[in-house]
Amino acid sequence: MSDLNKLMSVDGAVGAFKFTSKGELVESKIADGSELNEQILDLLCHVCIANMAIATMQARGWENMTGMKGFYPIKGFTMVGFDWTVIVNGEFGVVVPNSQVDYEAAHTALAG
Amino acid sequence: MIKQLLAVDGVMAICHFRDDGALVEGYGMPDEMLAGFAKFAHDYKRIVLGNADQLSMFTQMSGWTPPGGWVVEGDGVAVASIGNVACLMNTQEVSKNEVMKELEEASHW
Amino acid sequence: MNIVSELAAMEGVMAAGEYSYRGDRFTCEGEMTDDMARMASIMCRSTSMAVHMQMDMIKNLGHDCGCIPSRGWIVNGENFSVCVIANHFCFIQNESVSLNAVMSYMRENVPGQEGQLV
Repeated sequence: MSDLNKLMSVDGAVGAFKFTSKGELVESKIADGSELNEQILDLLCHVCIANMAIATMQARGWENMTGMKGFYPIKGFTMVGFDWTVIVNGEFGVVVPNSQVDYEAAHTALAG
Repeated sequence: MIKQLLAVDGVMAICHFRDDGALVEGYGMPDEMLAGFAKFAHDYKRIVLGNADQLSMFTQMSGWTPPGGWVVEGDGVAVASIGNVACLMNTQEVSKNEVMKELEEASHW
Repeated sequence: MNIVSELAAMEGVMAAGEYSYRGDRFTCEGEMTDDMARMASIMCRSTSMAVHMQMDMIKNLGHDCGCIPSRGWIVNGENFSVCVIANHFCFIQNESVSLNAVMSYMRENVPGQEGQLV
């Protein structure tokens, strides 16, 4: 199981957080000097949960229509912003700058 | 014209937005908030359209798209929209049937 | 080779494509039928639009968190993932391709998007 300290050790991580299945922020860690705050993380959690829900609908529809399995259940969602990337998997997430993002390392850390 | 919807019990604000999200007219809140309300309603309309299109695509069932409107319910307030008209209402005081009927009419004006 | 062909040629990439922002055209290369490619472009366009709107909303709520404008997204399924930057999409097999390699290529080569187009 991931913990926030481990997630903060991901290269470049400026924030790590845990959220509920409804997208509510449960706990978080923010790097010193970062412009992130709990309000922003809470909104990012809701964005990720909303898109996981949409992706789940798409995975169900896609698999039914094409017979091509392998998308459902949806495991994670990543949003590539202009400067920052937020990566979530299960009930944990991490925020890293685009310049340092390592998607695979983040997923490994998130998968625990 | 849409101003008369404010007379419906429980309706707090109303706006009419263009297809690019710009405010045409609105009442019940300050102008800068009305512009934000129009943008939200326009964005939400596009999202609902995208999801309805996909529902239609995946189910092969006709009759879902284009969607006529949407309602999002909060704890004490709700936002409803039909066509390019949206309204904010107090859920304790409003008759949703009445509001939806008025919105349906206003969307044809 | 163009971006779509380069992506489609990468090991572990099932298919790559590009759709018009208006939603009226798409191209796709790889292991997908025309119908699947059409559905994929509709799905990716819809999610990109939603993500763009959500980021705009966060900004309008007073939080400029460095995520605006959104450049793209990834969704990770059990065996497959979908990567999207601007109007380019790529379906990959999780076990056979480096997510970093695909995303690096897309971020470096796919031109940025204008908010009005999305």
